[in-house]
Amino acid sequence: MTKIGLEIHCQLTNLESKLFCSCKANYREFEINENICPICMGLPGTLPRLNQEAVKKATTIAMALNCSTPEKIAFFRKNYFYPDLPKNFQITQLNIYGDTSIGGTGSILVGDKKIRIRRIQLEEDPGRLIYEGSSSKNQITLVDYNRAGTPLVEIVTEPDFENPKEVRDFLKILSDLIENLGVADPTLEGAMRADANVSIEGGTKVEIKNIGSFHDLEKAVHFEITRQESLNSRDIEIAQETRHWDDRRKITVSARSKEEDLDYRYFLEGDIPWVKIGIDTRNELQSKMPESISSKKERYISEFKIPSQVAEVLSSDKFYSDLFDKSFTQENAKEVANIITTDLMGLVDTREKREKSKLTPEHLKNLANSIISGKIARNSAKNALHEIVKTGNELDAVIKELDLGNVTDQLKLQEIISQVINEEPQAVEQAKSNPQTINYLVGKVMQKTKGKADPSLTLELLKKNII
Amino acid sequence: MVSKEEIEHVSKLMKIEIDDPIEYVEKVQKMIDFFDVLDSAGVESEEISMPEIEIEALRKDEHLPFSDKLIEKLNHYKGTYVRAPKMSS
Amino acid sequence: MNLKISALQFVEDVKTGNISVEDFIGKTMEHIDKVEPKLHAFLEINRNSLDDARTIDKKIKSGEKVGSCFGMPISIKDNICIKNSKTTCASKMLENFVAPYDATVIKKLKEQDAIFVGKVNLDEFAMGLSTEFSAYGPSKNPWNTEHVPGGSSGGSAVSVSAFECIASLGSDTGGSVRNPASFCSVVGYKPTYGLISRYGLISYANSIEQIGPLTRTVKDTAFLLNIISGIDSNDNTTIDNKNEDYLSQIDEGIEGKKIGIIKEMMGEGIDKSVLSATNEAISKLESLGAKCEEVSLDMVKYSVAAYYTITATEAGSNLARYDNLRYGYEFPVEGFEFNSYITKSRKNLGPEVTRRMIIGGFVPSAGHAGKYFLKALKVKSKLTKQINDAFTKFDLLMSPTVPILPFKLGEKINDPVALFLVDVNTVTANLTGKPAISIPFSISNGLPIGIQLMANSMQDKALLQAAHALESTVKLPEVQI
Repeated sequence: MTKIGLEIHCQLTNLESKLFCSCKANYREFEINENICPICMGLPGTLPRLNQEAVKKATTIAMALNCSTPEKIAFFRKNYFYPDLPKNFQITQLNIYGDTSIGGTGSILVGDKKIRIRRIQLEEDPGRLIYEGSSSKNQITLVDYNRAGTPLVEIVTEPDFENPKEVRDFLKILSDLIENLGVADPTLEGAMRADANVSIEGGTKVEIKNIGSFHDLEKAVHFEITRQESLNSRDIEIAQETRHWDDRRKITVSARSKEEDLDYRYFLEGDIPWVKIGIDTRNELQSKMPESISSKKERYISEFKIPSQVAEVLSSDKFYSDLFDKSFTQENAKEVANIITTDLMGLVDTREKREKSKLTPEHLKNLANSIISGKIARNSAKNALHEIVKTGNELDAVIKELDLGNVTDQLKLQEIISQVINEEPQAVEQAKSNPQTINYLVGKVMQKTKGKADPSLTLELLKKNII
Repeated sequence: MVSKEEIEHVSKLMKIEIDDPIEYVEKVQKMIDFFDVLDSAGVESEEISMPEIEIEALRKDEHLPFSDKLIEKLNHYKGTYVRAPKMSS
Repeated sequence: MNLKISALQFVEDVKTGNISVEDFIGKTMEHIDKVEPKLHAFLEINRNSLDDARTIDKKIKSGEKVGSCFGMPISIKDNICIKNSKTTCASKMLENFVAPYDATVIKKLKEQDAIFVGKVNLDEFAMGLSTEFSAYGPSKNPWNTEHVPGGSSGGSAVSVSAFECIASLGSDTGGSVRNPASFCSVVGYKPTYGLISRYGLISYANSIEQIGPLTRTVKDTAFLLNIISGIDSNDNTTIDNKNEDYLSQIDEGIEGKKIGIIKEMMGEGIDKSVLSATNEAISKLESLGAKCEEVSLDMVKYSVAAYYTITATEAGSNLARYDNLRYGYEFPVEGFEFNSYITKSRKNLGPEVTRRMIIGGFVPSAGHAGKYFLKALKVKSKLTKQINDAFTKFDLLMSPTVPILPFKLGEKINDPVALFLVDVNTVTANLTGKPAISIPFSISNGLPIGIQLMANSMQDKALLQAAHALESTVKLPEVQI
C-alpha cells in the first residue's frame, strides 16, 4: 500500500504583524527589503516579541482540525545556516519535553476517510532567495528579507493518504477550512505550501521538498510513486532520502548531498518563556470560532431547502458564504444562492477579481428580490450583476441604463402579443386544443422583448387572447 | 571518546574552520570529561522547569514599521538586496 | 576637581551647583586620556561627551527639567547597543557593526541625562573572565597592572575603579559583572533574572544572563537599578517589579537576618587570604546582628559543568548569525560558495570563541543532545530547588565572590579547566536566576577581595540593604594609579 504524508505550511496572512516583530505580516506589497526591522533581521541584541494574535490564530487552526491544545506552548531553535535565515536558526516548535507544540494529535474527514494530524506548530518563515546569472559558475544570490518572520503554521499529517487524489481532496478541504477560519487567504501566492513524504508497499520513506504549489505537489507525488514503482519492479532498492521537486523538468531529484549533514541541534528558545494558554482562553477561542463549512452546508439545506450541491459550493467558499449570509432573507435565500452559484461564480473566480468587485450584499439582496417580484428577468439579472460587479451602481440605475427592466406595461405587452398571434396562426390553433404548446408562444414573445417580458403576465395575456 | 571525525562534523556544522582537528580532539575531550561529572548528579528523574508568560502579556498584533530605512545601514547590493555567496547545488 | 566621588554625591554636587557637568566631564576625559595607555579599559571613547555636558549645564541653568543622572559619566560594556555607535563585542567579527537602535537600558539612561563616556572592553562576546580574550587586547587591573582585572566586564570594572567614570553597565552570564568587580574592588550587581531588560544586550547565553551595574557604592547600584530595571515589552523574559524603589530604606540593616555560608564555595582551591577575608566578613555580619550558619548545597558541585554545557549550547546558536552577510567587516562574497564563505568569514572569531563554538556544536549535536544538554537543564532545575529550599531557612547566602586573588595576565589563559575554579562561586546565581552582589571587602598584598551575597528571586531590595550594611563596615584604601 502506498503511504503519503504531508507537511503543510500556511502563512497567517490575515495578521497585521510578523511573528516576532511589528513589521507587516503580508509582505507582498513592499519594495525589496523594505519590510524589515532589527528584530526580523536578527541584528545583535534583538529579542523575539511574540505576537499574541498569532498564538490565538494558530490555536484556532488546531481546534478546527480537532487537535489537542496544550496548556503551555514552548519554542525551540532549529539551527542551520542559510542566507534566507537572518539568525541562522529558525524559531519553531517541537514536542520533546512533553506536548508543547500549538496543536497535538487530531484528525479531519476527507469524504469518508479520516486523515490524522500528528502535530501543528507555529514558526517563522524565512526570507527569499533570488538567483541571478544563467550558468552556475557566475550565479549570484540575492536576498529579500521582507518575508522573514512571517507567522507560519506547519500542519504535519500521518501518512494516511494512498494516492494523489486523496492528497488533492485534502488540500482543497484544508485550504477552504483555513480561509473559512479567517486566518489566512490561501489564494495569495506562497501563502500555502507543502512538502510530502511518499513510500510504496515494501519501500522506504522518501521526502519531497521544494514544491511551489499544491498543483505541483500532486504532480510531484504522482511522479514519486511512479519512480518508486519503477525501481521496485526492477528490484532496485529505494533509498531513504530527501528529494527536491525540479519545477522545470517536473521530476524529483535527489538532494542527498545537501541534507546528509543536517543536524539541527534543536534546543529550547530561552528568549520566549513558555506561553500559558489557560482553559478560559481556549474556551473563548473555541466559542469564537467561525461556523464550520459542514455546519453551514447543513444549515443551508435544512433551513432554506437549497439543493445539496449548491449548498456545498456555497459553504466551502468563504467569499460566497459570507455574501450569502449577509444577503439572504427567508424568502429570497434560494434565489440568492442561485445567483451566487450560477451567475456570480464566473465573474469573481480569481482573487484579483474579488478584490475589484464592487458588489455588496445589499446589491445581491435587491437583485434576488427583484427577480422574485418579476421586476427583472433572470436572464437580464445576469447582465445587471455583471454591471454591478464592475461599477457598484445601484440596481435601479443599472436597469435603467441598460434597459433591463421587464416589460410589465399591459398595453405594450398586448401590442407585442397581438403581433405574435398574427404571425403564428398555426401555433395559436394548436394552443387552443393543447394548452402545453402555449409555451412556444411565450418564447416568441420573449424573443421579441429580448427576454424582458414579465413571464407570468405574458402567459396570462396570451391565455386571455387565445381562449 | 571524541573522534577526529566528530570534530570535523561539528566544525562543518558550526561553520568554524579549525586548522588542526587532532588538537581539538584533546581540547574537546578535556571539556567533555569535565562535563561527565553531570552523570553523577542524580538528576535522571528531575523535571526541567522553564519561565512562563501569560498569553495576554504577549505583544498585540499591530503593524508599526521601523523608523529608519534599515537596509541602508546594512550591507546592500543592486539597490536594496542583500548579497549572498553562490549556493552550491 | 575630585573625580573619586559616588554617583549620589555627583548628583548632589551638580544639583547644588558645587560642580558643573562640563568641568566634571572635562576632567574625566583628561583623566581617561592619562590612564588609558596603562589600563586599556575603553574600546572607544565618546568625544562628544563634553558637548553633551554643556547641553545639560544649559538645561540646568535655564531651569529645564533635568534627568536624575544630571550628566553622570557612565561607561558601557561594548556588548550593549547604543544607537549609531559601534558595538564590537571586542570581536573582529563585528569591528564595523554600528547599532541602529538603543538597548532598553541605554534608552532609559538617556532619558535620565546620563553621559556615555565610552564603550569598554570585554572578553570577546563576553566569553572569559579576564578580558584577555578581547580581540583588541586585555585591560589591566588598576591595583596591579600585571594582573587581570577579571571579566568578562573587565573594562567596566577598570573604568569605575580607576575613576574614568562614575558607574558602568556590564553583563553577567556566569559572574561577568561580579568577578571583575571583585578583582577591581568595586560593587558589581547581577539582578534577579528578568529584572533588567536584555533588549540590546548582545546575547551570549540568553537564558541566564543579565545586564548589571558596576559602581563605587551599593547605594549607587540601587540608584542605577531604579532607573534601568522594570518590565519591557521588548524582552518577553522581563518581570514586573512594580517600580520598586531600591534606594529607599537601604539603611534598614540586617539585624536578625539569617545568613547561610555556602560550604561548597569555600572548599578546595580557595586562597588563604580569601578564606580569612570571608571569615572576617562573617564576624562583621554577626556584629551587625545577623546570624550566620554554614549550609551545604551539594548541587553546587555540578554547577560549573552545567553552566558550560548550557552556555556553550546557547552561544553556538546565538553566534550563528555572524555570517558577515548583512553586517560585519570588509570581506566580499565574490568568488565564494556559501559554505566556504561563511566558514572563512567566521575565521575572524577569536580562539576562545572558536573553541566554545566547537563545544557548542558538540554538546547539543544529534548524538549527544540528551546526554549533556538535558542533564545540564536538570541540574539547573535541581540546583534551583535546592537554593529555594535554602531560602526557606535563610534570608541570604554568602560566599567569597571568587575563591582566588586576581591572577597574572597570561597565567591561566591556556587552561580552560583551571579557569573553571574561578567561576564556581558565581555561576549558581545565573543558573538559578537569583540576584547576587559582589562587595569590595579587603585588600590582600595589594589585590582586592570581594564578598558575594545572594538572595531569593525578587528580593533584590533586601539584598541591597544587606550589602549596604556589610559595605559600611569596611574602609578600603584608594587605588593608586
